[in-house]
Amino acid sequence: MHMIFSIAPSDPTPIYRQIVDQVRRQIAGGVIVPGQELPSVRAMAQQHTINPMTVSKAYSLLEAEGLLERRRGMGMVVANHSEQSDKVQPQDLLRPSLKAAAQQARQLGLTAQAALAQFEECLKKTHQEETP
Amino acid sequence: MNEPIISAHAVQHVYQRKTVLNQISLDVPEGAVLGLVGRNGAGKSTLLRNLVGLTVPDKGFCKLDGCLSTDLSDSVRERLGYVAQTPDLFDWLTGDAHFERIGSLYARWDQAHAYALAAQLDLPLHTKAKDLSLGDQQKLSVVLALGHDPDILILDEPVASLDPMTRRAFMRALFEQRGSESPRTVIISSHLLTDLERVVTHVAFMREGRIQLMDEWDALTEHLRLVQVKGAETPLGGIFQSRQPEHGRWLVDTRLPGAPFDGRALNLDDLFLELNA
Repeated sequence: MHMIFSIAPSDPTPIYRQIVDQVRRQIAGGVIVPGQELPSVRAMAQQHTINPMTVSKAYSLLEAEGLLERRRGMGMVVANHSEQSDKVQPQDLLRPSLKAAAQQARQLGLTAQAALAQFEECLKKTHQEETP
Repeated sequence: MNEPIISAHAVQHVYQRKTVLNQISLDVPEGAVLGLVGRNGAGKSTLLRNLVGLTVPDKGFCKLDGCLSTDLSDSVRERLGYVAQTPDLFDWLTGDAHFERIGSLYARWDQAHAYALAAQLDLPLHTKAKDLSLGDQQKLSVVLALGHDPDILILDEPVASLDPMTRRAFMRALFEQRGSESPRTVIISSHLLTDLERVVTHVAFMREGRIQLMDEWDALTEHLRLVQVKGAETPLGGIFQSRQPEHGRWLVDTRLPGAPFDGRALNLDDLFLELNA
């Protein structure tokens, strides 16, 4: 499967952190697999119109965490022994956003059922957008 | 490389009895892309003009690569690109005639690169400058500033009149692969904050002739939080209070001891509004 990155510059989460989180999630979820190559720093920067240094920073952090490896002539690839992906359950990475959404649903006075229906719809929509 | 590549030292600039720049000091490290933001009249253009030596400060001084801005050496000039707020063009010359004229001034001028940039930005080259739209005049100024592959690039609202697609092409051009060994250092003033968020490494906020706040942009988004306090108390780690003290809104820096962590994170737009409220 190919990688999906969505960069939101106006999100108060720094862009390098958005990249780190998204790579981590996709590794944990098996969307990208060991040995798979990441887009080059230049390609990533050009595609999303961001500073190449920001991409480098994200990749270096992921490399330090052992999730990525620098391979000669290939650039960055997903590390073979992504040990962390064994420890971290993909579901756990979804929890913080769901918690925030749960809080908002409560503030809006939505029933659990209504909130779940919304989430289901979002899931469907995302799936449709990504399947050409 | 001990010295910052771009710097201002206690720069004071008075114009018609108004203090436009008030004791401004600024250090920009090599390779940084600094976004300079602030309201109209905050002094951004004057600061940039002082940095490139087009204006002489009343007190203090600016330096580019160790060289006084008011007395730039040819070698620093060769490495400098500047785009003024109002495009500075020869009215009666076409785009490609500008290439000839400006290109002859720079040893490092790369004609092929200039043509490639013009194509990326969709810039007509056979129209006289005076007949170009404001947007196209800005594009031409940008291409002329980039054509000699400068190491220091100073841009004063270069994209205000460009459409979003062209602005993206412009931002990509800032990082285009280059012949130079040293990384390019850029200062860009702009009101298009969501554009800046994509490309800056640092942000400096100006207000009334002073720099209110400058830091790495990642650090500001990670560590600055907006908190609400009761009455006149100052929160721990408070670095800036909104001008309406009765609102009790403070920016806190969570790197400071005791600062609360539960404030609201801010994007560039939010932070701009807080600092200028």
